[in-house]
Amino acid sequence: MTQKLNLKEIERKAFRSTFQDGLWDIYLGLVVIFMALFLFRPDEGYSPWNLLLMLVGFGTSFLIFWAGKKFITVPRMGQVSFGPLRKRKATTLAIIMGVVIIIQVAVVLFSVGGWLDDDLAAKLNALLGEANLERMAVAAVGSLFVGPSMILVAYFSDFPRGYYIAILMTAAVFLMILLNQPIYAIIIGALIILPGLVLFIRFLQKYPLPKRGDS
Amino acid sequence: MSDPETITDAASLAEIDRLIHEPARLSLVALLYVIESADFTFLMNQTGLTWGNLSAHMSKLEEAGYIEVEKTFKGKRPNTLLRLTVKGREAFQGYRQKMKQVLDELPE
Repeated sequence: MTQKLNLKEIERKAFRSTFQDGLWDIYLGLVVIFMALFLFRPDEGYSPWNLLLMLVGFGTSFLIFWAGKKFITVPRMGQVSFGPLRKRKATTLAIIMGVVIIIQVAVVLFSVGGWLDDDLAAKLNALLGEANLERMAVAAVGSLFVGPSMILVAYFSDFPRGYYIAILMTAAVFLMILLNQPIYAIIIGALIILPGLVLFIRFLQKYPLPKRGDS
Repeated sequence: MSDPETITDAASLAEIDRLIHEPARLSLVALLYVIESADFTFLMNQTGLTWGNLSAHMSKLEEAGYIEVEKTFKGKRPNTLLRLTVKGREAFQGYRQKMKQVLDELPE
């Protein structure tokens, strides 16, 4: 036996194999597309329907992801439970994401409060000046909500494609707000989905259903 | 006269756990060592072993008390989960130490 037995690499390879089906990419790409389709309707203005339909879209995306894992991936690839290190990382990610979401909600609430206050709104308008600069600021804040969160998910989930998705999601939110058009986010969503579909097809070819009934 | 060191090395080699040392079982035990549990399909995909081979190796490891088999049902389908026992973990740790020791003692 001339090769070194690298247990960390064996574990990492086993863990990363669970991302080979491309379902994460498809799910996140769909989230971007549904966000663009329903949340952003500048001409018609916002209504509760926008939010409701977006949530239905997110739910549908998750349903596709869940059903894909349950009915396609697991029967082909098998079932695995990883060790304490991965569970610790998942817990850490959940805690960090919880804190990030609290911060994001606080920022949104402070922003809304600020714009509702006439004096503060006047000061903000004076500070930001032109409408373009104001939109740029909103776009920057919006993309800052998405980008770092996705980078954290990629880091703690040991999911290298997540960094690529993080960049694309950040760009999608930024362009959608800045250019006042959902089409860019839809195109970017498709760019996230495309590699996922290629991986999914490869996965189906590489892992046919096992013939034995007992798994 | 034989070299005492050579005799010690040879003795160390004889102490290697043969049950783990077999390449297919080594890959199985190493994989089970770094995860908590897995089913047959996952182990087959990761190790490249066929169903029959995997089953035969698992039986040997189970007989030695190195792995435990948990039979459950996923819906109507039977599902067999495998995990390394404490004895299996200790045996693999011992195997790693012994191999390291043996290989470190080998002359250049």
